[in-house]
Amino acid sequence: MKPSLPLRILVAGAGLALALVGLVVAEGQARARGQEVRLAMEAFDPRSLLTGHYAALQLVHALPEGVPCPDGGDQGWLALTPNGPVHRLAGAAATREAALKLGPVAVRGEASCLGGEPTRVALDIGIDRIHADQEEAQAIEAALRGGPEAAEAVAIVSVGRDGRARLKGVIAGGRRTDLDWF
Amino acid sequence: MAGYRQRLEQDLDRWIGASLVPAENRAAILADVGESRRLDAATTLAAVGAVFLGIAIIAFVAANWDAIPRIARFVLVLAVFLSLCGGAAWAARRERPGLRNGLLALAALVYAAAIGLTGQIFDIAGSPPAALHGAGLAAGLLALAGRSSGAAMAGLVLLGLGDISDGPFREAAEPPWLIFGAPLGVALAWKWRSAPLAHVAGLGLVVGALLALMRLGPPTDAGLLLTAAAFAAAAAAVRWKRDAAEAVAGALFGWCVLGALGFFVMAGFEGGAFEGLPHRIVWLALSAGLLALARADQHGAAAGLAIVSLIGAVCAILFDLGLGLMSAAGVFLVSALAALIAGWLMRRRAAA
Repeated sequence: MKPSLPLRILVAGAGLALALVGLVVAEGQARARGQEVRLAMEAFDPRSLLTGHYAALQLVHALPEGVPCPDGGDQGWLALTPNGPVHRLAGAAATREAALKLGPVAVRGEASCLGGEPTRVALDIGIDRIHADQEEAQAIEAALRGGPEAAEAVAIVSVGRDGRARLKGVIAGGRRTDLDWF
Repeated sequence: MAGYRQRLEQDLDRWIGASLVPAENRAAILADVGESRRLDAATTLAAVGAVFLGIAIIAFVAANWDAIPRIARFVLVLAVFLSLCGGAAWAARRERPGLRNGLLALAALVYAAAIGLTGQIFDIAGSPPAALHGAGLAAGLLALAGRSSGAAMAGLVLLGLGDISDGPFREAAEPPWLIFGAPLGVALAWKWRSAPLAHVAGLGLVVGALLALMRLGPPTDAGLLLTAAAFAAAAAAVRWKRDAAEAVAGALFGWCVLGALGFFVMAGFEGGAFEGLPHRIVWLALSAGLLALARADQHGAAAGLAIVSLIGAVCAILFDLGLGLMSAAGVFLVSALAALIAGWLMRRRAAA
């Protein structure tokens, strides 16, 4: 028997709503289970959008003195290695296995050198913003632009087994902002 | 402005006066037409009140969005979507197809917004094309579940936006989703007799084919001509079956003709073997043939398209010949003779 039109509409609507809930739960689990790394970042840029506010962020750090910028930063995988309290780029590779030989953490993304001495490198791992309240984003930006605190700005990132990086939170100017359900 | 019923009453009185219609049929004819539905003042005020209430709720939520916990924001987004689906189900149960269609179209758009808002609320990174394609598929599911041409149109638009959101040359290996969605839209438009959906699906066919060609690399003569031939075949098939769904067939015929002519014209500007006078003469002949066909079928849009195409062909010939007026005079004389002879032969055959 063919289901009635109202029933079909309700089932489709409920299915789509469940799909959205499933996406949020799955992403939350992947974020919680991934390996946590901390990456240095630069200036926040709070903007007001139609749907809310976000602070744009750029993952940038300096390589150790004398270390050249790795070749082939656009191969798809980046290797990260611990460097004190944060992680830094160790190299780039075409596969996860090859990246893991260069550093203990492999993440999907690309790296590009910004030049300078020591060499500065920008990581594009799919994280370029954190949505925050306007007041909060502006407070973080004020802390960052204040001066020496800018050097302490880090993004807390979860790297899953699939190689995807998911933002867990940020620390800027001594203030930590976490992404949670509330 | 007089409504259809009022005009019919006046016409009926005139036809009865002229003995064209028996007077005793007047009541039966008017009963068949029925009274047009009109909203009373109370219903109108209730509708206006509902709209104002909706705006007030949206403004209140927007003003306090930052203060609302993430989980509450997410529940709010889902509640709006589910309410629209519930409303559509209620409208279906009460057999109000217009309301059902409108609410499902709105639900499809709200779901697209919900995907974006969910990504924002929980900082889920994702590619814009994937989000738009996902929203398009969701709209398609709502359209199929609730027989909603509005949701289907929203779905096609979302798929198209997803296809072009990262540029038309994005991934050669990934075909545009429109080339799968648009034919499905055509089938649904035909089944549901929806001319608006036929227009959106027809446009989707043309855009999808163009994107597919662009992603395969620089378009070649052969590729463009094959695509033009496919659209011409589709136009012929639609015209052949036009009696089954006249309004839908008319819309699809127009878009298929646009695709056929457009891709054929492009084939003559790609620097390939087909460029030059032979292409322009065929273009001229196709445009003239289409004009004759469109006039015979009383298809205004196709006739307009044919006239624009004719003007384009004439301009291209003049440009190709470097404004050599004697050469142009020869080409147009031959074309004129061909058109006149063809017209004379057709009239002679009709007279016989």
